[in-house]
Amino acid sequence: MAFAPMGPEASFFEVLDRHRADLLAALRTGGGEHPGRGTRLASSPEVLASIEHVIQDIITSLARNEAPAFTLDDRASWGNMKFEDSVGLQMVSHCTTRKIKSDSPKSVKKFALILKILSMIYKLVQSNTYATKRDIYYTDSQLFGNQTVVDNIINDISCMLKVPRRSLHILSTSKGLVAGNLRYTEEDGTRVNCTCGVTAIAVPSNIQGIRNLITDAKFLLIIEKDATFQRLLDDNFCNKMSPCIMVTGKGVPDLNTRLLVKKLWDTFHIPIFTLVDADPHGIEIMCIYKYGSMSMSFDAHNLTVPAIRWLGLLPSDLKRLNIPKDSLIPLTRRDQTKLDSILKRPYVTCQPYWRKEMEIMADSKMKAEIQALTFLSSDYLSRVYLPNKLKFGGWI
Amino acid sequence: MVLKKFLKEIQSILPGLSAKLTWTSEEGSYSQDVSGITTFQMIFEADENSRTLMTDCLVIKHFLLKIIMVHPKIRFNFNVKINGILSTEIFGVENEPILNLSNGIALVVNCQHYVSRPKFGITESCCNRIHPVLGHPVTLFIPDDVAGMDLLGELILTPAAALCPSPKAFSNQLNRISSVSIFLYGPLGLPLILSSREQPITTFFKDTSYFIDWKKYHLCMVPNLDLSLDRDLVLPDVSYQVESTEGDQSQNMDPQGQTLLLFLFVDFHSAFPVQQMEIWGVHTLLPTQLSAILVQNHRVVQDSIQFAVDQVLEQHHQVSKAHQKLQASLSVAVNSIMSIVTGSTSSRFRNMCFQALQAADTQEFRSKLHKVFHEITQHQFHHCSCEVKQLTLEKKDSVQSTEDAHENSSLELLAETRGQAEGKRLERGGLRVQEMRALLSTGAASPSGAAPRRPEPTAAPLTPSGGESGAAHGGASPGGGLERRFTSVLVVSSLSPLCVLLWRELTGIQVRRRRGRGGEGAGIFGRGSKTDAPFLWLSQAHPCSP
Repeated sequence: MAFAPMGPEASFFEVLDRHRADLLAALRTGGGEHPGRGTRLASSPEVLASIEHVIQDIITSLARNEAPAFTLDDRASWGNMKFEDSVGLQMVSHCTTRKIKSDSPKSVKKFALILKILSMIYKLVQSNTYATKRDIYYTDSQLFGNQTVVDNIINDISCMLKVPRRSLHILSTSKGLVAGNLRYTEEDGTRVNCTCGVTAIAVPSNIQGIRNLITDAKFLLIIEKDATFQRLLDDNFCNKMSPCIMVTGKGVPDLNTRLLVKKLWDTFHIPIFTLVDADPHGIEIMCIYKYGSMSMSFDAHNLTVPAIRWLGLLPSDLKRLNIPKDSLIPLTRRDQTKLDSILKRPYVTCQPYWRKEMEIMADSKMKAEIQALTFLSSDYLSRVYLPNKLKFGGWI
Repeated sequence: MVLKKFLKEIQSILPGLSAKLTWTSEEGSYSQDVSGITTFQMIFEADENSRTLMTDCLVIKHFLLKIIMVHPKIRFNFNVKINGILSTEIFGVENEPILNLSNGIALVVNCQHYVSRPKFGITESCCNRIHPVLGHPVTLFIPDDVAGMDLLGELILTPAAALCPSPKAFSNQLNRISSVSIFLYGPLGLPLILSSREQPITTFFKDTSYFIDWKKYHLCMVPNLDLSLDRDLVLPDVSYQVESTEGDQSQNMDPQGQTLLLFLFVDFHSAFPVQQMEIWGVHTLLPTQLSAILVQNHRVVQDSIQFAVDQVLEQHHQVSKAHQKLQASLSVAVNSIMSIVTGSTSSRFRNMCFQALQAADTQEFRSKLHKVFHEITQHQFHHCSCEVKQLTLEKKDSVQSTEDAHENSSLELLAETRGQAEGKRLERGGLRVQEMRALLSTGAASPSGAAPRRPEPTAAPLTPSGGESGAAHGGASPGGGLERRFTSVLVVSSLSPLCVLLWRELTGIQVRRRRGRGGEGAGIFGRGSKTDAPFLWLSQAHPCSP
C-alpha cells in the first residue's frame, strides 16, 4: 500500500506467512469459528420487546402476590463453563442460575438496580441514543455506589436478554490503543488512519460500526502494558516491522479492545501475537484475549480469538537470554495461587507448550516484566527480541 | 431481729412515701392452694391528708409495678379506701410474654409497660415486645469503706439493654433514640429504690458518660428529673433525655423516638448457702451504697453496660439501615417499572400491565404497583425475631419443659403463662430461687409453723391491732374499725410462695391466713373480695379521721 513505510525484506516474513497459511488452512478445515452463536446484534424493537417481557413477568408475579425475581445465569462458576478449542470459554447451555429476589434483604437493592438500568436502556434504545457505562453510573452515583456495580449489572442484563452490550445502546469509553498499518471509517463517517506516528489511536467505542478496514499488516501484536506499547512506538517498531499493527488494552482489556482484535482477526485473518509479562497476571490477560473471560463467556463467540499465540516474554526466554536473577522478581503467594488456577483451567490441556512455560515459572518461583530485557540493552526488545521472535517463529 | 430492722427501714425503701405507716396486722401466715398459688393480704393505716395520700398511693403503685416486671407471677390487688370509698386496682402481668434472661431473671417484655401508648402506638410496624440483650455479669468489688458490707459473698452486676418500642426489621422509621430509662434491681430481682427522687441523681448516674460512651453514637445525654408518678408505666430509677451532639434541637424529646431501657440487676452470690438475712442486709444497704460500689468498679461496670448497649444499638442501626435500603430499593424499582410502562409505545404491553394489577389508568397502576410491592416485601421482612422464636416454641410446645426455660440464652423468649415459669434459677451459688421455693414449700405445708431455715418466719413484730387481728382471723370486722378513717388498703393475692417471701421480706409485712369466708373482708373490699383466701391488708388512717 502506498502509505506503508519500508519494513524488513520480504524474506523476513516467511515464517509468519507460513503461520498465516496454517491458520487459514485450519479455518478451512472446519477448526475455525462458529459464527452466529452466542449473543447476536439485536434490533431495537427486539431489545424493547425483551425488556417489556421482563417487566411483564414482574407484574404477573406481583399480580399473583408472589415476590418477583430475576433469574440470572451464574457467570462466576467454572462449573458453568465449557471449553472449545476453536471458541474459548463458553457458557454451558443448561447452566446454573442465581436468583435476584425482591424479597431478600441481600438482593433487593440489586433487584432494584437491575430495573433501574433496564429502564435507562429502554429509553436509550427508544430514543436511539447511546450512553457510556460511566454516564449511567453518574446518573445516580450515590445509588449505584461504584462503577463496578453498574458494569456487572450491564453484563448481567446483556446475558439475561442474550443481546450484546452494543445492542443495549451502552458504550464504554475505550482505554485501548491501536497503531500501525490500519485504516478504517467510523460509523459517523470519520476516517481513521492508524499509521504509526508518535501517538496511537484510541480504540473506537463503536467497533461494530467501523467499516472499510484496510491493512497490509503481516501480523498484529497485542501488548499487555501501555508503557511497553509507548516504548515500541518511540522505537519506531511499527515502521521497522512494517507492515504490522500494534494494540494495547492497557492491562486487562476492555470489551472494545477485545472486539477490535476479534474484528481484525475476522476481517484479515492475520497472525496475532501477545507480548505480556512473564508472570501469572500477564498470562491471564493473554488468556482473556485468546479464550475469553468467565464473566463474559456468554458472548465468547464475539470476543475470543483462539488463533492468538504467545510471543513473549516466555519464562524459558529468561534462562535462554541469561537474564540475571537480580532482574527477576520472586513469585508472591498470590502469583502462585493465580498460576495454579490457570494451570487447572480447561484450555491449558490443549496448550502443552504453555503448560511447560508455566511449569518453568512455577519451578523457578520467579517472574519477570518485559522491562527485564532492558538489562541486555535499552532497545533490545524492539531491535533484537521481537524481530528475532517474529522472523524465526518464536511463538507458542 | 432482721425483719424488725427491715420493717424499721420500710420508709427508706420507699422514700417517696411521706405518710407514716402503721401496720395493723400483727402476725401472719400463708398457705398454698392446690394450684400452688398463695394469696395473702395486708392492711395498713395512715393518717394523712388526701393529697399526700394520693402521692403515696402512686409511689406504692410504681413500686408494685416494678416488682411485677421481674416477678410476673405476682398479682397485686391494690385497694384504697378513703372515708369508706373504695377504689381497686389490679397489678399483674398474667399471660404476658416474658423473657427468661440467662441471669435467672424473668423480665416482662411487653412494650406498653415501658413507654406510653401514644409513642408505642404510632406505628403498626413496631414490635410490641422489647428484646433485651444481656451484658456479661461482672463481680463488683466492695470497697472496705462501704459500711455494713461485710459479706461472705460477692455482688454480681448483670446489665440488660433493650430499645422500646423495638422496630421490626424493614418496618418503620423509628431510628432515633429520645430517652434512656434505667431500672435498678437488687438481689432476687427486688427493686432497688434510690434514696429519694427529689434529690439529685447519685454520683454514678449523675455523669451520663460515666458508664456509657454516648459520643460514639453521636448522642448527648441530659438527666431527666421530671418523672411523673401519674403514669401507668414502670417508673425508671434514673432517666435521661437525649440531645443531639450536633445541636439538632429537633431531636430533643422527640415523642416518636425510642427509649433505651437499661436494667441493672445486682445480685448476691456466695459459695455458701446464703442466709436470707444476708440478702435483706444487702438489699437494705444497696440503695445507699450502690453508687459508691459502682464508682469503685467503674471500668468493669462500664465495659459490661457498654457491651449490652452496643449490641442493642448495633441491632438498631442495622434495622434502620435495612429499612432505608428497602424503602429506597422499592422506590427505585417502582419508578423504573413506571418509566418503562409509561414510556412504552406498545399498547398491548401497557394493557397487559394494567389488567394484571386491575388498574384503570397510569395513576392507579402506580399506586397499586407500589402497594403490592410494599405488601409482598413487607410480608417477607416483617418477621420479628421474637415472632419467629415464638413460632418455633409453639411448634414444640407439647414437649417443651422447663428445660427450655433454663436454656442459657439471653434472647430466648417464652410466651410464658403463670405456672410455667418454673426455672428462674440463679446461675451461681447464691440462694437459689428454687431453694427458696423449697424452703417456702416447707413453710406452706405447715402454715402455722415456722419455715425451718427461716429466722422468725411468722413472728413478725407487727404492731398488734385488735381489729385487724380479728379481720385476719375472721373475727370482728376490721372494716368496722376502719370505716371512720381515711383508709388505704392494699390487697395482695394470687402469689406463689416465692412472692410471699418476696413481699414479706421486702416490706416486712407478715402473711397470715384468712380463716373465715365472707365477713369482714367483704365489708372492707366491698366488691369481689376473695374472702376465702388469705389476705394481707395495708391500711392507712388519716389523722383527721373521726
